[in-house]
Amino acid sequence: MEISEGKKLPPAVRLERVTVRLGGKVVVQNFTFDVPEGRKVTLTGRSGSGKTSILRCILGFTVPDEGAVYVTGERVTAESVWELRTRLAYVAQEPELGAGIVREVLERPFQYRANRDFRRNLEQTPQLFRQFMLSDELLAQPVSKLSGGEKQRVALIQSILLDRKIFLLDEVTSALDRAAKQAVLDYFRPRADLTVISVSHDTQAFNDLVVNIGNSRERE
Amino acid sequence: MSETVDIGYANLALAYILLLIPLFLIVWYRVPMLGQTIQGIVRMTLQLVLVGLYLEVVFRLDYLWLNGLWLLVMITVADVSVVRGTGLRLRFFALPLFAALLVGLGAPLFFFIGVVLRRPMPLEAQFAIPIGGMILGNCLRADIIGIRNFYEAIHKDEKAFLNALAQGARLGEATRPYLRNAAHAALAPTVAVMATVGIVSLPGMMTGVILAGADPLTAIKYQIAIMIAIFSGTALTVALAIWLTMKRSFTGYGTLDERIFRK
Repeated sequence: MEISEGKKLPPAVRLERVTVRLGGKVVVQNFTFDVPEGRKVTLTGRSGSGKTSILRCILGFTVPDEGAVYVTGERVTAESVWELRTRLAYVAQEPELGAGIVREVLERPFQYRANRDFRRNLEQTPQLFRQFMLSDELLAQPVSKLSGGEKQRVALIQSILLDRKIFLLDEVTSALDRAAKQAVLDYFRPRADLTVISVSHDTQAFNDLVVNIGNSRERE
Repeated sequence: MSETVDIGYANLALAYILLLIPLFLIVWYRVPMLGQTIQGIVRMTLQLVLVGLYLEVVFRLDYLWLNGLWLLVMITVADVSVVRGTGLRLRFFALPLFAALLVGLGAPLFFFIGVVLRRPMPLEAQFAIPIGGMILGNCLRADIIGIRNFYEAIHKDEKAFLNALAQGARLGEATRPYLRNAAHAALAPTVAVMATVGIVSLPGMMTGVILAGADPLTAIKYQIAIMIAIFSGTALTVALAIWLTMKRSFTGYGTLDERIFRK
């Protein structure tokens, strides 16, 4: 599965003949997949078809039994994965934000050495909150009081503040109403510097390419 | 102060009469632990008699190498007990934990004997074995709590842990909150004991020194020094145990190696 680009740049993400077995069962088989930089792609398919396993392979949380994964041309290995993760953002369907008030939660990953240089991006927080249709007042609220849709948008904002360029989104608009979902799409779609790989049953949201795992098709 | 008052074997046998109280309660209320209790009492008696006989020989000979060997046996037994108590696999944890216990016991023990007591030989049986046993016993309890807390928390909280890695945390950064909580859980009982010692309880060391005929002020000096040695030993051994076992418990990608857990 490939989008032909004619550029010399390596794809933002490449899976090359990846096979993953979990508990003796094959969940991903001989899967090859290129996502050029800036493209917005959806992985879809029935439950258990291996969509989340593919995201886990890109993040280095699951090591493929066969094949290789590349991020911006670099193979994901035990040595490279630590630096490569700083180019990736992962937002789950039910994001794990931890305890505390929203402002603290947003600031937490900036304590990591890899993110310290981006700390000044926190100044963009109020602007991003408005853009994603969240009230500024939420910043002082405990995370436990947020709705599922608010948590999803806070997690997205956190990833944006961390200055990541490749977004791995796992059903990330599932809890959003139509207006909030549109706000998210309006942020990502025009950004040629941001690559999105979205695992979703909604094939309209990020549709430069839609890959139905086990039954793929392209849309250009 | 008076000399140590020995207990005759017949008098010791009388002490077992006191056991009738808990045994009666267990039978009367049908608490399902009668067999376990009897087994525990028999084991305690046999183990202490055997160790007493062995220590008689060790104390009489007082060979430094034999005392050191006995301490190594104590560490080995503690090592296996800790790993069993944590529900983790021996082959992943036995060696790093042995090293942690060795350092966590050795450092405060030798400081106590060499610097505080100013004894010329740090492996003198009279001091090394009882004080080593007290430090090791506390390290054992703290390690079980600390190590189990650390790995179980990461296992249960996998989503949050992986989220930290996905956000660019190095392994040390991602595990720090779990290490903090594990250290807190492991050290809190010792801190609580330190805060109430002398009021809520008269600890074993102090009681032993008083029973041996020393005056109470000498006993409290021993007790203060041993409490500090125990606290240092437990802190050192918990931190070292987690730090050393981490190298075998996580994959190169930072994920927890599931093979460390006993099924």
